[in-house]
Amino acid sequence: MNSRKTINSIFKNAVRLSFIFCAGILVFLFGTIIWKGSAAISLDFLTKPTENFGAAGGIVHQITGSLLMILTTAIISFPIALGTAIYRSEYLKNPRSQNMADTLIFSLNGIPSIIFGIFGLIFFVNILGTGVSWFVGSIILAMMILPTLVLSAYQSVNSVPSIYRESALALGMTKWKVISTVLLPKGINGAITGLLIGIARAIGETAPIMFIATAFSGVQFPTTLLQPVSALPTHILSLAQQATNPAALQNAWGTSMVLVILVVLFSTSGLLVRLRFQKK
Amino acid sequence: MKIKFILFLSCTTFCLFSCTKKESITISGSTTVLPVISNAANAYKNTHTDVNIIVNAGGSGVGMNQLGEEKTSMGMISRDITNAEKEKYPKTNFKVIAIGKDAVVAVVSSEIYDAGITELTLAQLAAVYKGEIKNWKELGGPDKEILCVDKEAARGTRHVFMEIVMGDKEAEAPGADLVLGSNNEEQTSIVQSDAAIGMLSNAWLNDDVKGLNIKMNDSIFIEPSLANIVNGTYPITRNLEIVTRGEPKGQLKEFIDYVLGPEGQKFVEEAGYVKINR
Amino acid sequence: MSKLTGKIGKSYVLTSIIISAIVIVLVFIILVGNSWQAVSNLGWNLFSLRWNAPTGEFGILSMCYGTAIVTLIALLLAVPLGIMTAIFTSEMLPSKLRIPVKSLLELLAGIPSIIYGLIGIAFFAIWLQDLFQLQSGRTILTAGFLLAIMILPTIITLVDDALHNIPKQYQEASMGLGLYKYEIIKNTLLPIAKADIYGAILLAFGRALGETMAVMLVIGSIDKIPSPFFNVLSPGQTITSKLGREIAETSFGSVHFSAMIFMGLILFTLVFIITLFSQRANKKRIRLYE
Repeated sequence: MNSRKTINSIFKNAVRLSFIFCAGILVFLFGTIIWKGSAAISLDFLTKPTENFGAAGGIVHQITGSLLMILTTAIISFPIALGTAIYRSEYLKNPRSQNMADTLIFSLNGIPSIIFGIFGLIFFVNILGTGVSWFVGSIILAMMILPTLVLSAYQSVNSVPSIYRESALALGMTKWKVISTVLLPKGINGAITGLLIGIARAIGETAPIMFIATAFSGVQFPTTLLQPVSALPTHILSLAQQATNPAALQNAWGTSMVLVILVVLFSTSGLLVRLRFQKK
Repeated sequence: MKIKFILFLSCTTFCLFSCTKKESITISGSTTVLPVISNAANAYKNTHTDVNIIVNAGGSGVGMNQLGEEKTSMGMISRDITNAEKEKYPKTNFKVIAIGKDAVVAVVSSEIYDAGITELTLAQLAAVYKGEIKNWKELGGPDKEILCVDKEAARGTRHVFMEIVMGDKEAEAPGADLVLGSNNEEQTSIVQSDAAIGMLSNAWLNDDVKGLNIKMNDSIFIEPSLANIVNGTYPITRNLEIVTRGEPKGQLKEFIDYVLGPEGQKFVEEAGYVKINR
Repeated sequence: MSKLTGKIGKSYVLTSIIISAIVIVLVFIILVGNSWQAVSNLGWNLFSLRWNAPTGEFGILSMCYGTAIVTLIALLLAVPLGIMTAIFTSEMLPSKLRIPVKSLLELLAGIPSIIYGLIGIAFFAIWLQDLFQLQSGRTILTAGFLLAIMILPTIITLVDDALHNIPKQYQEASMGLGLYKYEIIKNTLLPIAKADIYGAILLAFGRALGETMAVMLVIGSIDKIPSPFFNVLSPGQTITSKLGREIAETSFGSVHFSAMIFMGLILFTLVFIITLFSQRANKKRIRLYE
């Protein structure tokens, strides 16, 4: 009896301890980013171009470059994801093909981001001869976040009770009419949630874009599709390699903080959108 | 609301592509040459607003590779073009232009330098990189294991260093403990350690990263000073070069002329290199 | 009119799913096609220990070993810690606090991997160097440790969900038997949630295998298996860090390039298989992004 009690209390304390450890990691990581980052951030930092290899000046072109890329990513992935989700939900009826579609989506989601990077390097940059281009970066990021959008859209399309579909069909509406009036709006809600969460992931990715979409210095706002941009994560990469130059390191933390703020902004608005739509 | 959102998105993209077009020059390659070209490009853009110059790092190997595959208009290299690279792009007539001179210096952590190791012979350096000498004690220093820092295989600094020290620019270094990329990254690792040896461009030396004197066969130690690089007595020197496909033309030629001119050469000296004699 | 829009609509959704399908097939074909040159030129020599580009030796074993050991370390650290923390959030935390606390922990998953790399190189590498009196803090253990933190949120969220979804009757019945919390969790809850926990671990496993940026910055990038092989305090190289550092230096169409892509193909295949298994384990649930 006593030993059972002892084991129980040891277990409880161990569980508590691991939670405290995880919470400690969380506090340490965010504390570091905020504490180190806020020292670097100023209006000039956010609005001036980079100087002296990132050790001086600001990150305005990195911010605009990252935003441009994910905006385009959103435009590319949104319609494809919506269509895929509706197809999966409304046209695939036998379990085998449903299963196949799921496997497809899950596998796409599992592909490591570096693989997307080398795929882009081979297919777009070399075979299609696009060169280093921010637009190719956007396409690759769109491929990467597609599964997130599809699943989110699929869940909300699928949440429409089948009674609606049946009664609409019974009223003589065509299948597409049902989709466009009932299911599409639902699916769009889901896809927007997925989009915001997907974008939160895409904006922080380095490996898929570092060979194919970004350049180190001298980049301004791109004027054609086939130019490189500067992006926040690749900027951190080049600064992280000079971790002993205090000025560069400080700017690396500043850039990290801006990036984390953007990520948190996108993912929390994704969650808020989801909550709002669920209430409706 | 959604329709507005989509409209907004399409408007922004449309605006992006209807913007005016500038001529742009893309450059990539050696991190050693990068500071010169990048700073020169920034200054050049102030006076030539009709041209945009994009400079990327990556190392000499990346620079040659992207130039050969016509992804860039100019490469930066801190070593000679290898035969393999020439064979890869047989149709391309690479035109090499030297813009400055630099030394590759064997460097150690300041702790080792302060403990008395200020000079080594080429043979000793080779032994360290071959893994035959593993402790600073064997070289007369403190009883600490050597952290031997190597560079990625296609880096220019490595080619030049290995050519002189090991006799083969692509020699393997079985004694290496770490393999890193850019000058910055290598410098960082040497500062973070208290028993490291590595190879760096002369311009990356500072109080925490000390350059060693090199002893040639005739027992004179040569300091990696600018003067010794200029007069050619320091053994491990190289030209900093830019490469183009064929003769440079148009805007590219104007920019190269600027780099070779008095204003551009100022950036060579500012970066800690020796300007080219013309 | 409505018939036409119906047709357009249908072909739109059909095109969408075809695009999605083409993407993954294309990735696979590109990887296979570009690694063929290395396979036909080098054959079994690919599975050797030496990687030396100038002499045309491309042995990938050191990188495979690096990937295996780094992932193993990450899982050994993160799985117990993640499961224990999930037990805390789902079983011991007041239910009001569960969602806020969990959401906060999930923020960890939102930190981009490059920032983990920056923290790794600025803090963890130096701490490890001082702690173990190492020559350099860029080691296999540093990478594994960093990776463990990165996969923790995945494990915590999924295991917490699995435990939370178990109907309350089970707990109540066990409590009625006078069992201690420890016994309830060990004998009742964990066995029920077993399949989901496996699924979570597999998902985290897949993530860990493919992580690049953080690992690349802290692992030291030396193409060697440490000696002795379990010495995790020495530098190493993973498939992803090798790809990240070297792919841009190789030229398209060379054997060198092809050998790099071959490593990518191995990684892709491994992750693909793991995804299939984890999908099977997570059959009932469709969750991706937590």
